[in-house]
Amino acid sequence: MVIAEIKPFKEIKDSLKSYKKILIAGCGSCVTVCLSGGKKQVELLASALRTARKVEGDDVVVGEKVIPRQCEPKFVDMIRDEASRYDVILSMGCGAGVQGITERLNTIPVLPALDTRFIGAANEEGEFLEMCAACGECLLSLTGGICPVARCPKGLLNGPCGGTKFGKCEVSPDLPCAWVMIYDRMKALGRLDDLKKVIGAKDWSKSRRPGRYSAQKEKVEAPAKK
Amino acid sequence: MHTAMPPCQGACPIHTDVRGYVSAIARGDVETAIGIIRQVNPFPSVCGRICIRACESACRRAQIDEPVAIAALKRFAADQTKDLKPSYKRGPFFREKVAVIGGGPSGLTAAHDLTLLGYNVTVFEAHKELGGMLSRGIPEYRLPKSAVKADIDYILSMGIEVKTGMVLGRDFSIDELLKDYQAVFLALGSERSVFPKCKGIELPGIITAVEFLKQVSEGHRPYLGESVVIVGGGHTAIDAARTCIRLGSRDVTVIYRRTVKEMPAGKGEVEEAEHEGVKFKFLTAPVEFIGNGKVEKVLCVKMQSSHASGSKRQSFIPVKDSEFDINTDAVILAIGYNPKTDSIEEVEIISGKKGTIVVKDELGTTNIKGVFAGGDVVSGPQSVIHAIESGKKAADAIHRYLRNLPPKEIEEPVVLRPLDERIVSLIIKAVRQKMPMLPTEERIKSFKEVQLGYTWEQAILCAQRCLNCGAGAVVSEECAACFNCVLVCPYGIPTAGEEKAQIDISQCQACGICAAECPASAIDVRLETREVSRKKLKKAVEAAKKEELKDFSINFYCQYEQPTGPSEKKKGTYTVGKPCMARVSVYQLIQPFEEGSKAVEIRKCGHEKECRFKGCDEWIIKHVERAQKMLKDIGIDADSVKLVYEDKK
Repeated sequence: MVIAEIKPFKEIKDSLKSYKKILIAGCGSCVTVCLSGGKKQVELLASALRTARKVEGDDVVVGEKVIPRQCEPKFVDMIRDEASRYDVILSMGCGAGVQGITERLNTIPVLPALDTRFIGAANEEGEFLEMCAACGECLLSLTGGICPVARCPKGLLNGPCGGTKFGKCEVSPDLPCAWVMIYDRMKALGRLDDLKKVIGAKDWSKSRRPGRYSAQKEKVEAPAKK
Repeated sequence: MHTAMPPCQGACPIHTDVRGYVSAIARGDVETAIGIIRQVNPFPSVCGRICIRACESACRRAQIDEPVAIAALKRFAADQTKDLKPSYKRGPFFREKVAVIGGGPSGLTAAHDLTLLGYNVTVFEAHKELGGMLSRGIPEYRLPKSAVKADIDYILSMGIEVKTGMVLGRDFSIDELLKDYQAVFLALGSERSVFPKCKGIELPGIITAVEFLKQVSEGHRPYLGESVVIVGGGHTAIDAARTCIRLGSRDVTVIYRRTVKEMPAGKGEVEEAEHEGVKFKFLTAPVEFIGNGKVEKVLCVKMQSSHASGSKRQSFIPVKDSEFDINTDAVILAIGYNPKTDSIEEVEIISGKKGTIVVKDELGTTNIKGVFAGGDVVSGPQSVIHAIESGKKAADAIHRYLRNLPPKEIEEPVVLRPLDERIVSLIIKAVRQKMPMLPTEERIKSFKEVQLGYTWEQAILCAQRCLNCGAGAVVSEECAACFNCVLVCPYGIPTAGEEKAQIDISQCQACGICAAECPASAIDVRLETREVSRKKLKKAVEAAKKEELKDFSINFYCQYEQPTGPSEKKKGTYTVGKPCMARVSVYQLIQPFEEGSKAVEIRKCGHEKECRFKGCDEWIIKHVERAQKMLKDIGIDADSVKLVYEDKK
């Protein structure tokens, strides 16, 4: 899941300074789940913006809309008509959502209300942790299902480094050392011997940007006509 | 599962929306409460006093401490609104006329419902007065005439024709009625006393409870003597005994052949009677009434329980050689009643063994086309709420018969299951309010109503004890499956379902925290839906705007703490009540500023006392802090949103 957080209010407000009619677009998937861009946040931000502009003696119209996924063109099309009545769209989606709308509604400016942070998952306390760096070549089978690329600040493929201390990373005492976690996990799996093997150089070309992928292209190959 | 009824509603024979009216009383809104009651029950004043209260036996509050005093609250709603103008909507008018024979609770309920459905109804009553056993059989100290009158007046105000002093079989017949009326409902009641098969039953000084109580209800004050023996164990037996005490008898004994456990009257009534000086002899049955020209002695025998072979039901048999005498001046018989249906024996209505009318189905269809029967004349003596139920069923059946509609499908209600022990342990106890009573010394001298009714404060405190079963959180299709609700619920009720969060409505306490925290606004709480909640805030803001005040503030108060709102009204302050402050979301705290409010106060209940819901304090504080941060960002003084602590009186 994509994790994003709301930008500081002042930054959002300043970015909208020159607009009189603003449509705030929420997104019903990842950012709703991480409490940043769902219906409730849209409503709250809309009210805050109206109030802030009022305090400044400025009139503004703020509309609210939530679509299931901003990264899906068909959902974006659903707000096309409504969007045309506004000067700007403030997207409460992730970076892909902002651009998903931009691509589809090319005449209206689309601004981000969120900072997209990482691909992550929730822990039991409801915090979101980065889990995947989208490196393009998954190593999780070698590391007991714990990713050193995303979860070790150095991204070490053969750890830990000398900075590990009582199971924590030198970067922060709150941060567990990914390689200690990998060790514990491999031990529990009875696979400690596997850690003796050195993980070779990673093919970083697979993480080259911009990424592009099509399941359609790879899977469907029309059989040659006889 | 969402349609499951609260246990109280499920247990009520007419499925009164108990939760609905109790929660209205909890807000101090008796008009809404009585409206909800009257939707199904035309006898609120009566049922509020003498109902058998199946609802209270089912109340889940009893799992924590004691059931909510539901009947007493119904009485409160009825008493407090007795001067209100009747308001009801009648259906489209139909040409057909319906005759109701018998003006007791069953007949009058049928008349009421049929009138609302649009029919012209005439009630034929044999006595001078309507009300049946309510007027003649229940003494005034338990059910004042004024209470019965209040309900009957309301029913008659709908435009029902009444013919009193009209006895079926003497003044008119069913055949004659069927010429003018398209349907007839027989609700003749069951007032003929059953006599024990004892020697000496014909002796003067022996009277039936029905006759005795009837005389008293007509204003006579028969003094039966210093000592009186009452035979029986039902409500009527106890009513007769307590009436004797009021008429000056000093030595009043109720003899009952079984134990207090088997008594239809119940322990509470026995205790009240004992309080007034009535003596009870359980496991005692009369054998013979002895006397010279007048009853002087009751020869009794002791009884014992026995499990007769082949029968699961406990039976009671005499103990050998246990006879003993009780000296007495009079005997009152209250061992049961049968219907008096001789007058219609010659018509084709089939009468059952004890004079009851046999009906073909639950709707009360008889073997004569267009003639229905219900109430005690069918079932034998039952409680008033069952008579009302029967009247309602008959009205519906008659309507369907006259309109040629298919019979109503009767579904057994699905009822919420009991609270889990884990939830029970998290609910804060609150004692049931004691009903104010007339002092005993005053009681035994008069027929004044013993139960005085709740005060406003008591009624609200009592209503607040309701757990609002089934009015909790409901998850909509919009759930994004973030399972934030699972994290925030102080009772640990939500769980992760396959596609969305699941909240067990049978366990949810309706605190509303999950709804305030749901990022997709996919959770709503039935107790106060989002729509209602927003309307309330909007109303307060509009009221403020109407006054054209420069400065106004919005004040959220806890309805559990201040049920009828803050006592002192400050100028420029507009109040919004909520069932718990934890459900006031950050949005609701900052939105009033958009409308021009200068301040928002959220009143938290007294910190000395625990809040109603576990962990709500934490959420109130969190919401206020988040709102304050947001205000600061907006450019408004953060302290404009303030948490105010209100000490409990």
